[in-house]
Amino acid sequence: MMRVLAILAILCSASVAWAHKPSDAHVRLTVDGSTIAGRIDVALRDLDGALGLDTDGNGELTWAELQSSAPQISAYLRDRFTISDCPITLGDAALTDLSDGTYWAQPLTATCTSAPSALVVTYKLLFDVDSLHRGLVHVSGQTVIMRDGSPTTVTLGASTSVVSFIEEGVWHIWMGFDHILFLICLILPAVFPRRNGRWQPADSLKDVSREVLEIVTAFTLAHSITLVISAVGFVRPPSRIIETGIALSVVAAAVNNLLRAIDARWAVAFCLGLLHGFGFSSVLIDLGLPSGELIGSLLGFNLGVELGQAAIVVAILPLLYGIRRTVAYQALFWAGSATVAVVATMWSFQRWFA
Amino acid sequence: MTFVRWGRKKLTVLALGALGLAGALTLAAFAAPDHAAFASETYKPGRADEVVAKVPARDPSEVAARRQLASSPERVELAVELARADIQRYRTLSDPRYLGRAQATLARWWKLPDPPPEVLLLRATIEQSIHEFPQARADLDKLVAQNPDDSQAQITRAVVATITADYAAARASCNAVAARAGALVAATCTAPLDGIAGKPDVAYAHLREVLMRSPRANAEIRGWALTALAELAYQLDDTESAMRSLRSALDLDADDAYARNLLADILMVTGHNDEAVKLLAGRDTIDSHLVRLAIASRDAKYVQAMRDRIAAAAERGDRIHLREEARFALAVDGDAPRAARIARDNWAVQKELADARLLAECAAAANDRDAAEPVISWARATGVRDAQLATFFTKLGVGGAR
Repeated sequence: MMRVLAILAILCSASVAWAHKPSDAHVRLTVDGSTIAGRIDVALRDLDGALGLDTDGNGELTWAELQSSAPQISAYLRDRFTISDCPITLGDAALTDLSDGTYWAQPLTATCTSAPSALVVTYKLLFDVDSLHRGLVHVSGQTVIMRDGSPTTVTLGASTSVVSFIEEGVWHIWMGFDHILFLICLILPAVFPRRNGRWQPADSLKDVSREVLEIVTAFTLAHSITLVISAVGFVRPPSRIIETGIALSVVAAAVNNLLRAIDARWAVAFCLGLLHGFGFSSVLIDLGLPSGELIGSLLGFNLGVELGQAAIVVAILPLLYGIRRTVAYQALFWAGSATVAVVATMWSFQRWFA
Repeated sequence: MTFVRWGRKKLTVLALGALGLAGALTLAAFAAPDHAAFASETYKPGRADEVVAKVPARDPSEVAARRQLASSPERVELAVELARADIQRYRTLSDPRYLGRAQATLARWWKLPDPPPEVLLLRATIEQSIHEFPQARADLDKLVAQNPDDSQAQITRAVVATITADYAAARASCNAVAARAGALVAATCTAPLDGIAGKPDVAYAHLREVLMRSPRANAEIRGWALTALAELAYQLDDTESAMRSLRSALDLDADDAYARNLLADILMVTGHNDEAVKLLAGRDTIDSHLVRLAIASRDAKYVQAMRDRIAAAAERGDRIHLREEARFALAVDGDAPRAARIARDNWAVQKELADARLLAECAAAANDRDAAEPVISWARATGVRDAQLATFFTKLGVGGAR
């Protein structure tokens, strides 16, 4: 927790130094029916380069100098930025601090004749003074990079990327064998629980389903929490520790079956499930979090993981329930748990010493 | 440890979990302004005389030149002079805005298939700086075909050809300048080629001797030679000599980012992280310095700053940070497989010794011999000898590079 706090403190404090980043400007737009609202942020340094705002040329731009140039800046933005044939009104400008300096931040409203399904954005700021300048237009969950002044069509509406993140989530839980084994180890005893101090076959599918639901829910909650805090960058433990930890959690779940130590398997699912969330987040980070829809992609990916694990549970639970009174179940339970314990122990070693 | 049935507590814990999830999502929404579509807070300064930004002070002669160019935009010599000054500023400050400005100044000629030679050379220099090596190479080939005696073009061509592993072309360009540019330039030009060709010892002895015989060479060339000498010493595992040469290079030009990075790397490899931090402190505006600061210091502020910068570059579609990204993924995130993937992408763009070491190191950490394959075959083809590379190859179970 201390580490989380330390990182938070840094996020809130001033940035290290003004980075030497190439020049970027940001336009953020929200489309609501036929009205488009947003803001355009341009670095003061870039505006100075294009318009000579530092009127006394002393290298220090004052708020007074800026205010006297405000009409000139607004005219520059109005001339060089258009959205379809929707007239743009610029609002009252202010300033905003980004990591590489202070930016001019001016709200804008564009009014179209009808609700657009696509926008034609023409962005011509600064390219004539800085060819490496980029205009980043954030709209409807996408970031469109403007590299020159040519008109660019941005399609609005449901973006497909949330769907693709759901697919990735499903795919990951099916391919990531360790998560599934962990879950299966935890639900194996559900059809043969301890009651009144004795192990016996479950009476009804309803009881079994309830316990499994508790386990799955606890696992889901736990890995969702760590997935989120890690995906947004609060905590990112080294992957070696996490991967080894996940393997060890599988060992623990399997050994718990053999020793029958902890009956509150949902608690195991919760505590150790925290580790699995970190594992999921590294996959998500690898996929590249789309900047505009962090929350959407997180939820999509997580939903995919849940769907994937639900499908597996639904497939094997009736099977387990059906064979719970047979020798086959006992064999599966003991041999299966033992095998998983051994295999996962090997994984732990491999991952730690890799 | 025995567990009793938790009974009702179960509900409490699950509820707490749900609360935690909601909390984490809310935090994410607030704390991720750099990632998400949330716009940052705005403000208005309270006083009119408050300084809101530092901008480059205006140079009257430059303003005059720009005004002249604006009134007669066809005057290529004016544009070239202005662009050259901006490229020089880029070199001393590592501020990419100057590079973009130089390109914009040359816009009128930029897209021409055959611009005037002065423009062609600047275009190649800018292309090289933004890692567009094939384009830079094409322009340089054109230049040296027009005028084989253009030393600047030949040296730049040698550098670009070395980066892209076209050693024959690099050597041809080095040979072309040898007669006219002097022994030190010639020896420095071929030093990395001989180093990669498996003769770092011979190249080291030769370059060192030429350097001692050239006390009057200008500082820029001496600095270049000292850095090349250090590279060879490092290849030979003589880190002491390498560090000495690099310190001399930095005495000549404290803004030599290449020499500073190499010195920091050697300090880190030899276990002097604190000295590396001292060497780079206060220079974190430059990405390649910042990534080393983050790794050597593990200071959360540097780590976060580098993370932000990688994210910002990705957002604008830049891929020129692959080296830094791979190092960061390996050393800070401890994610060797991802680091190896990035290092491989980097290797597809540039193939200097540092890039070879990087890919081999990441692949070794990921225990993934296949990922290192391009470097392994490169090492076989060139016969390179390098102490660092040899260590990583040993880890990968590959012979050679010793």
